[in-house]
Amino acid sequence: MSGRELFLVGLSHKSAPIEVRERVALTGDALKNALAELRSVEGVGEAFVVSTCNRVEVYVQAEGEEAACRFFTSRSTAATEHLYLKRGPEAVRHLFRVAASLDSMVIGEQQILGQVKEAYGLASAVQAAGGYMSRLCNRAFATAKRVRTETEIGRGITSMSQVAVELVQKIFGDLKGRAVLLVGAGKMGALSAKALAVLGADRIFVTNRSPDRGLALAAQVGGNFRSWDELPRLLVEADVVIVSTGAPTFVVTREMAALAMKGRKHRSLCLIDLAVPRNVDPACAELGDVYAYDVDDMERVVAQTQEARRGEAIRAEAIVEAEVMAFSKEREARAALPVLAQLRRQAEQIALAEAERTLAHLGQKLDDKGRRSVEAMARAIVNKLLHGPTTRLKHAASTGDDGLPGAAAELFGIDDAVPGEPRTSQAQPAAPAAPAPASLSKH
Amino acid sequence: MSIVILRFAAALYFVAAAAYIAYFARPRYRRAATAGFWTLAAAFAVHAAAIGVGCSEFGGAEFFSLRGGVVLIVWLITGAYLVLQRYYGLPAVGAFVTPLSIIVLLPALFGTPGHPGVPPDTLRYPSITVHVVSVSSAIALFAIAFGVAIMYLLQEREVKGKHFGALFSRLPSLDALDRLNQRLVRAGFVVYTVALIAGTLTAHAIWKNAWSWDPKQVVSFGVWFLYGAMVQLRHSGWHGRRYAVMTLIGFAIVMGSMVSSRMLPGVTKHSGDYGTNPPAEVTQ
Repeated sequence: MSGRELFLVGLSHKSAPIEVRERVALTGDALKNALAELRSVEGVGEAFVVSTCNRVEVYVQAEGEEAACRFFTSRSTAATEHLYLKRGPEAVRHLFRVAASLDSMVIGEQQILGQVKEAYGLASAVQAAGGYMSRLCNRAFATAKRVRTETEIGRGITSMSQVAVELVQKIFGDLKGRAVLLVGAGKMGALSAKALAVLGADRIFVTNRSPDRGLALAAQVGGNFRSWDELPRLLVEADVVIVSTGAPTFVVTREMAALAMKGRKHRSLCLIDLAVPRNVDPACAELGDVYAYDVDDMERVVAQTQEARRGEAIRAEAIVEAEVMAFSKEREARAALPVLAQLRRQAEQIALAEAERTLAHLGQKLDDKGRRSVEAMARAIVNKLLHGPTTRLKHAASTGDDGLPGAAAELFGIDDAVPGEPRTSQAQPAAPAAPAPASLSKH
Repeated sequence: MSIVILRFAAALYFVAAAAYIAYFARPRYRRAATAGFWTLAAAFAVHAAAIGVGCSEFGGAEFFSLRGGVVLIVWLITGAYLVLQRYYGLPAVGAFVTPLSIIVLLPALFGTPGHPGVPPDTLRYPSITVHVVSVSSAIALFAIAFGVAIMYLLQEREVKGKHFGALFSRLPSLDALDRLNQRLVRAGFVVYTVALIAGTLTAHAIWKNAWSWDPKQVVSFGVWFLYGAMVQLRHSGWHGRRYAVMTLIGFAIVMGSMVSSRMLPGVTKHSGDYGTNPPAEVTQ
């Protein structure tokens, strides 16, 4: 029996630095060519490649991992020492974990599932992935979906700008009709302002000590530049103030905030201080309806999320484990089916041939109805005889006992008990290149 | 009979509250919120039937007792919340308002309903019906505002204290709560004004004196001024925490005056025989 199984060769943010990852990462046509190349190797049935900025992983259903290894070594010799190799259920588990975002840099992030789906879609489009990969990937997607709905792994906030957005959302709902003020031309401030754009702020003001950089930033974020002296008045006008200057002292003092609150008639004011050393006096938070946050506060939220997600990841791993098991069982059940089909086909052929002979002997003595009865009897005998073996084979396969299908094949003299996948088996059933779904548990 | 129907309504309130709390605990279950809404709507209908049957049983006298008042107010709270949910869609508010309704309704379920005496004919004025219904509606609106103000203060504590825990993600934004609170206070104030006018007319008719320094009258005008001030202050730009705290204080006074005027007979003409002479059989 040809022993094809799933092999994974890859590297990720955990095993390789970015310099290596970027050298082997592929997109678009280059990826299509690489898939075609993989597929052309003798002994490789199906293949697909996940290539993101954090990982490059080659999944092949093949007799060995050499082709997948060559994918990396031909692109970068430095990659060799960072590669990991997994096979069989190990490789299946790895794919499921990747799709469920358990192997991601930020556990629970949402993008990876889309990236895996895209990778499978591409491989499927160029015919590198067929029936086996289809079942494998769909199971992986289903696993990811289960993990997302049954655990809270996707909850919480994972970046500083997201924290800012979340905070602003919980204070103001959205920013329609409200104004955002950027104090200082720091890069973090610009990033946060961009993140806040999703909340639809009406006006963005930018103020900076040096007008040149302030004007440049204002143009970049689509805001109006105001001179530095206007800051106290701007605090009355703006609802969200993002401060990131290089100043060593407080730029927004408690007195300024208190004065601004009078002018604001206690409309809420959100002060986000992204500067280190801090630019907003923490005492501002003591004022009613003023919400002030510094870098530490925001980082704490990110850390909290990571903590919570690690807890959820334990529950997610259990789901992955169950799905890997279910997938193996399904595979084994499928592996037994060809034996059954073959057995039944053979038996039916014999039965019908015998019926034919009998009918030839009887000649014209029987009418059509009688002929049909004889054929039906032949089939009925086959069915009755095969009923026991059928149920037992199916049961053995589903419980992971892979000895019985083999024994049955041997006993009944079925030579190719494991024909290829439907996709190719019709075209070339006996050709060795036909992908043979070897049971995953055989190794 | 009406008490049996009311108990059935209360059971539905429990189910609705449970559904809303389930939604609050696990916001993923949006269906729980939908189930809560429709169960609450059913409870509202059954409650309406209980009130209708009660009216035919006691001829409206029920609403002169604290128990009847509570039954009416809870019904109105539910109605007002259903309308709010329909237009503003904040199911998290349901997790606060529905349990609040149950707590208020609870004594009315287990206390002996008794047989409130038929109101003395001297009390039968159209203006008194307007007075009772509008004052109950106003209290219902203030009650929801109270719930919303509590949510505001909880959320404010989360946002300000940098907790970002479960409440933080489940409660609506401060701005949404603040605006909802303001709307409720404004609507409640308008209805309360109607109630005071109707009450004054009734007082004039029954007591031959529109203003008699009755403690209940004094407190009611105090409450009216407080809520009026809140509406006014909003126009001059008051927001946020202070507004929420004032909402709490206002409702505490409303509840205090409502309960104490019933519990302490003889203090105000709003209890006992309603200042009519000869004393009539109006029980609590």
